[in-house]
Formats: sequence, structure tokens, C-alpha cells
Amino acid sequence: MTSSGQIKKDNSAPEAEHKALPEGYGTTEAALLPRDPNWMFIYWEITENSKNNTAREHGEDIFQKGRQVIRVYDMTEGAASKYFDIPVMLEAKSWYVNVQESGRAYCCEVGLVMPDGRFIGLVKTNTVNLPGGRVSDVTDEKWMAVTADFDRLLQLSGVEYIGKGSGEVAKSLAQRWEMLRAVFSRASSWGVTSMSSQTLQKPELQAKKFWLVADCELILYGATEPDAFVTVSGRKVNLNPDGTFSMRFALPDGIVDLPVKAVSKDETDSREIDIKVTRATTTDGK
Amino acid sequence: MANKEKGYLALVLHAHLPFIRHPEYEDFLEEDWFFEAMCETYIPLLDVYERLTAEGTDFRVTMSITPPLCNMMADDLLRERFRRYYSLRLELAEKEVIRNRNTGFYEVAKMYETKFRRIRELYEDYYHGRILDGFKKFQDMGKLEIITCGATHGFLPLELRREAVHAQIKLAADDYRKHFGRGPRGIWLAECAYNPGDDVFLKAQGIRFFFLETHGIIYGSPRPRYGVYAPVYCPSGVAAFGRDMESAQQVWSAETGYPGDSRYREFYRDLGYDLEYDYVKPYLHQDGVRRNIGMKYCKITGKVQLNEKAPYNPAEAREMAASHAGNFMFNRERQIEHLNGFLGRKPIVVSMYDAELYGHWWYEGVDFLEFLFKKLYHDQKTVKMVTPSEYLSIHPDNQVVQPSMSTWGDKGYNEVWLNGTNDWMYRHLHKLVERMVEMANKFPKADGILRRALNQCAREVVLGMSSDWAFLMTVGTAKSYSTKRFVAHTHRFNGLYEQVMGNRIEEGFLKDQEWRDNIFPEMDYRVFSTEEMEKASKS
Repeated sequence: MTSSGQIKKDNSAPEAEHKALPEGYGTTEAALLPRDPNWMFIYWEITENSKNNTAREHGEDIFQKGRQVIRVYDMTEGAASKYFDIPVMLEAKSWYVNVQESGRAYCCEVGLVMPDGRFIGLVKTNTVNLPGGRVSDVTDEKWMAVTADFDRLLQLSGVEYIGKGSGEVAKSLAQRWEMLRAVFSRASSWGVTSMSSQTLQKPELQAKKFWLVADCELILYGATEPDAFVTVSGRKVNLNPDGTFSMRFALPDGIVDLPVKAVSKDETDSREIDIKVTRATTTDGK
Repeated sequence: MANKEKGYLALVLHAHLPFIRHPEYEDFLEEDWFFEAMCETYIPLLDVYERLTAEGTDFRVTMSITPPLCNMMADDLLRERFRRYYSLRLELAEKEVIRNRNTGFYEVAKMYETKFRRIRELYEDYYHGRILDGFKKFQDMGKLEIITCGATHGFLPLELRREAVHAQIKLAADDYRKHFGRGPRGIWLAECAYNPGDDVFLKAQGIRFFFLETHGIIYGSPRPRYGVYAPVYCPSGVAAFGRDMESAQQVWSAETGYPGDSRYREFYRDLGYDLEYDYVKPYLHQDGVRRNIGMKYCKITGKVQLNEKAPYNPAEAREMAASHAGNFMFNRERQIEHLNGFLGRKPIVVSMYDAELYGHWWYEGVDFLEFLFKKLYHDQKTVKMVTPSEYLSIHPDNQVVQPSMSTWGDKGYNEVWLNGTNDWMYRHLHKLVERMVEMANKFPKADGILRRALNQCAREVVLGMSSDWAFLMTVGTAKSYSTKRFVAHTHRFNGLYEQVMGNRIEEGFLKDQEWRDNIFPEMDYRVFSTEEMEKASKS
């Protein structure tokens, strides 16, 4: 199982099926997780019951009057020495928290900041130790190296590759694989008649041996609910059982307009994405 | 001069697949991941080890065989299904040799026939369907060091409870003992994900070393004197080996890496799509949809369209693999000579890869390894292959450094397993663990059906912890399957939890879960108790 998946910008939402799980467990609790030297993820659940208790203690109108925030405490020295607030809606239930200083310990508390500056905490998280994300300042007498040597050692160790994960090949293979899988999941044009060469033909050679041909095609792919009705440029598209679809088009010079529309099975909801592709081919004429 | 070597090379292959086994279906698509890897990587690697041993070439390699993989390799149902898988491939390969007589594809057709016959021979005649015995044999000879991994490849830095970390490690060590007859000396932390302090749980199981991505070591504190070219000891005394990027890039890099050579096999031209439909249909899944079947007749050829790919020439590709092995060795010799002079100590270069890169993604990768082993043994003296255990017994003197939190994923930390596609999981996963710990603490001595229910709960929790689900959601491959799996384990756990806490366990329901999710037949749920965790962390 390759471990070099790349984080893709176009894949940012969870699969709808996760909604099969309960939204909460009926307990007021929160957790904080480390993502990288400057980011953490917090999730929380605050029950109606505990909101009511807090209101009883601090005043019935606190939820109207107070600003809802995540208070981020720096816990590096043990007790909460410094903090800052991030405005948030309690209903968000989770958030990515950015901190300026890496290599420190943090804990968060979701709560209300009242007009008089008072903070009313609703739920607190565990403490997370973030990595420093850089070379340590601490040296070791017994194992000391001179600074210039250490810099050279860092280079030899491949410091430039940090964060590149294990492998560009795997990434590009995986991407290519995904694209082709999408294409093939429709009966592909050349799949059936095996190994017949198609569009690109080597040009008749004249005096010069060197030659070049190039062309490109367009692959459109997407996914929706498996039972949705999908059209591309007004034509119905057959979905795969998992709701994915793909089409392969010739791509002549000019502008191709591909409006993609999905309508939910009960016809109460729809989404549209309009893709415009421009192709301009130039050759040096040789 | 008895010791002429200037440094060491440790080759580490991480073999892992998530536990995928669906007895409820006659035929299940995702089970193919395992069968493909068996045919393309795991059995071919054993074939190489067999051949090298028979011809007297000494070699050293370190391989993780993760507990899910061990459990799948040892599982009766999957063994039967694997037999069906390779038998069908062999049948097709035999037909193909006849069909392709007098065509440009004859050599490659012949190659598959030979390959699948050899797979049958190794699987049946050598190992009698138990390929773990094959790996154990080479470990017992001292040539192969098998290391374990978290019980289900759990991503430890995103666990809240130390009990969960302890359970992943303890279950793995117990499972390893069962399959290999002794405790594991090393571990591959899933995704190389290290959270400072987790090493105490390794120590508790007698594990002496693990592996880190480069920056796990070089961002450690104090500064590591030898960078990644010597292991460091964590404060617990467990050793951490860091990854060498130069050798990693040489194989992996998209521009310059070996697998892209035009003579190598093209992954994306597959007989599953190329053959006439009626002819190939018996070799497809029951739904009759064209998919890859793992037999491919073309070489990469160059930057041409897929339909212009030229026939694959096995002899030519093998020669290229030999030449790349020579290049890899040459570069390691120069690297090690240089490091030796610079560091004033024999460096260890740790080259870590996914095992499935070799054979599955890069078809000739297994040939490459075979040539590399041979060349290193016969053609040079600068580089000596070692296992981490051997290295630590030669060089027990290592610096104490607290390594940094790190992973080998994109961007180097936890984002691959914690982003908008999968962050919703952790709320549930943490609840499962919390409830599991609660039950393990509440029932220190369960027996009968309660014990069975608790053991099954523990299986569902660990299956849910698999880092694979979050990973597959991020890359978008099998996103739906991985979501379904995580949701299913969560539901099954919560169902059983309600029954246990309500003192109304339904035997039928329990039996069904035991039948579906049978990983770790010897599961003992008490591995999740707080007391066990505390005992381990103080050991």
C-alpha cells in the first residue's frame, strides 16, 4: 500500500456516507489534534444540557451577548501563560487552528467572551505538543559537530526533500491511474479492438529523419450521488455504480463549453459546474 | 584487512495492505489488491530469496509484514480465493501463449505462463499455501529481518488515549510471535508516524528499533551528530533509523527515477481492456466490468499514446533492470565513501520503500533487487548490507536524541490523515477507543459470551483505526469503500457496546461480526485496559 498520497485541492469534502454516523454522542467534550508545526484540528460537542447549566450559572442571555470563540492557550510553561481567541460559531463543531509559534504546547477552550471581558468556558481540550519543524538549537557536548559541518550534513541528509513524502513517482502514477481508470470505466474506444493504432500516424518522411507529432484529447470526469441524473452539454451521462462518471472528447482548436449538471433523484436539488476549455495550437511550420 | 567495507546499506521494504476480506460476497473487487500484491510482489520476492540462497549469494533485507497482511496470508478463505485467482490467470496465460504464436507478443505471453506456473509451484509445493513460513525460513537463516507494524497500521499521533497506542503495539507483537516464533526486534510505525514518547510502548514489547522519515531525525534534539547516517537512541533507549533521501529519490523521482524507463512494462495497458470481451470475460469479476487483470503486454515505449505502445520485451527489460541495479550500487559506493570521509565513522544508509513498489508498480523492480543483491555481494567491497539488528550489535554506541514528530506523508506531518476529507472520522474513532477502554476497565475478568463480545469489540476498534481509510479518502482512490469500511466498523462496535453495557448480548449478531471481521483470532480485549497500558509504560 503506497503511502505517498498527495493532498489534492480538488478533493476536500468527505464522502456523503459518513452522515450514517451519529452527529454527536450526547456528551460535552472536545479534542485537539496536531496537524503540523503550525496547525491543529479541534472538534467539540456541547450538549443542550450543559449549555443550560452554564446559562443558569452565568445568566440566561450569555449566548446572545457573548462572542463565541476558541481560546488557544500556550501551555509550554505548564500553566496557561499566553492565549489568543479565534471567533467561531459553536455549531461549527470543528475548526482548524493556526498558531504562529511552532514547537510549543497548546490547549484550547471553546467558550464565550462577554462584553465586560469575562470569559465563560464551555469545554476544554487536551494539550498538544507541536513539532518545531526546524533544526534544534540544542547541541550535545559529547556529540558535537562544528556548525559548518552540520550544515553540510543537513544537505547530505536531504534536508531539501523534507515534506516531499515518499515519492513523486507514486503520486504521478496514482494520478495517471485515476485518470485512466475514469476513462476506462466507460467502455473505452480502443479497449475492445485490441492494439489497433489509431489517430496518430507517423507522417510520411521526407529527407529529414527527425519528426514530431502531438495531439491532445479531453477527459472530463466527476462524481455525484449514484442515483442522480447527470447531463454534460445537455446529454445524459451514465453513472458508474459509485456515482463517478467520465467522458473522453476530441479537442479541436477553439473553445469547448461543457456545462455539467446533476439533479438529485427526487428532483429537489441540483448542482451545476460549467467548464470551458480553450485550445490554441501553434507549430513552427517546419 | 578483514573489514574492508566503508559503510553499510540497510534495505527496508514496507509490505502492507489493509485487512480486506469479505466472506459475505462470493467475489469481492478490493480483495484483488491482496492477490495482485501476492503475484507481483510477495511471492516474486520469495522467489528471489530462494534463488539467491540456492546459488550461494548472501544478502540482507529488512521487511515489515504488517499484522493485517500476516492475517490475510494465514486466512483460509483468502488462501482459497488466492488459489482461484492465480489458477484463472494461469489458465488465461496458457491460452495466450497459443493465441500469440507467431506474433510480436509471444515472448511476453510466454513470460506470464512461466510466471504463474512458478507462483503455483512456490505457493503449493514449497510453502503448502503458507507463505509466511517462506519468509520465516529466510529470517531464521539471518538474511531477512521481519519487522512488525501497529496491529492494523494505526496512525498513532492522532490517538488521544495512550491505551490505543499500547494496544496497537502489543497486539502486533503478540501476532508476530504467533507467526514467526519469537518477538519482533523492530517495527515500522505506520506511515513512519512518530509521536515523541510512543517509543516507551515499543520498549515494553522488547522492540529495539523503528524507522523515521529524514526530518524526524534531523529536527531531533539535541542536534544529531551524524544526521540520518547513524541511528539515534530515544530517551527510552529504543533506536530510531532515519531515511536516506538520496537513495529514495533515485528510485522514486518522477523525472529521473528508474521505473519510467521506456523499456519497462507499461502499467496502464492491461489485457483486461485489450482482449476481446467474450474471451476475457471469464477472467473478470462477476459483474463483467473490464478492469485490470495484471497481465500487460506493452512497454512504456516513450511519450506516445497508450494505443501506440510497443510489445514488451522481457529480456530487454531485464537487462535494463541489471543496468539500473549497477547504477544504484555505484551511487551507493560513492555516497558511502564520501560519508565515511566526512563523518569519520562508517555510515549506515537506510533505503526505505513500499514493498509493493517493487513488482506491482514497477514490474521489473523485483529483478532490480535481485541484481542489486548479487552485485553488492560479488562486485564490490565498499558497501556491506546489514539488518538494523546487526548494525546495532556492531555499533551499540549511539547518540541519545529525542526525535521530532514526523511522518513520511505529503508535507511531512499529519495532514494526509487529517484534512477536510477525513477529519470527521476522529470524533468517532476516539469515542470507540474511549468506550473500549471503559469496557476493558469495567470487565477485568470476563468469560463466556461477554468475553467473546468484548474481544469482537476490540477487533472492530482496531480495524477502524487503520490509517488506510483516512489515506484512501485523501487520495480519492476507493474513497467510497474506505468510508464504508470505517462507518461499518463504527456501527458494529457501537452495536456491540450497547449490547454489552445493556447486558443483552445477541449471540446471532455477535456470531455474524466474528465471521465477518476475524482478524486476530487470539484477540484479548484486556489489551485496552488502563492498567495494562500503565504497566507497559513503566516497564
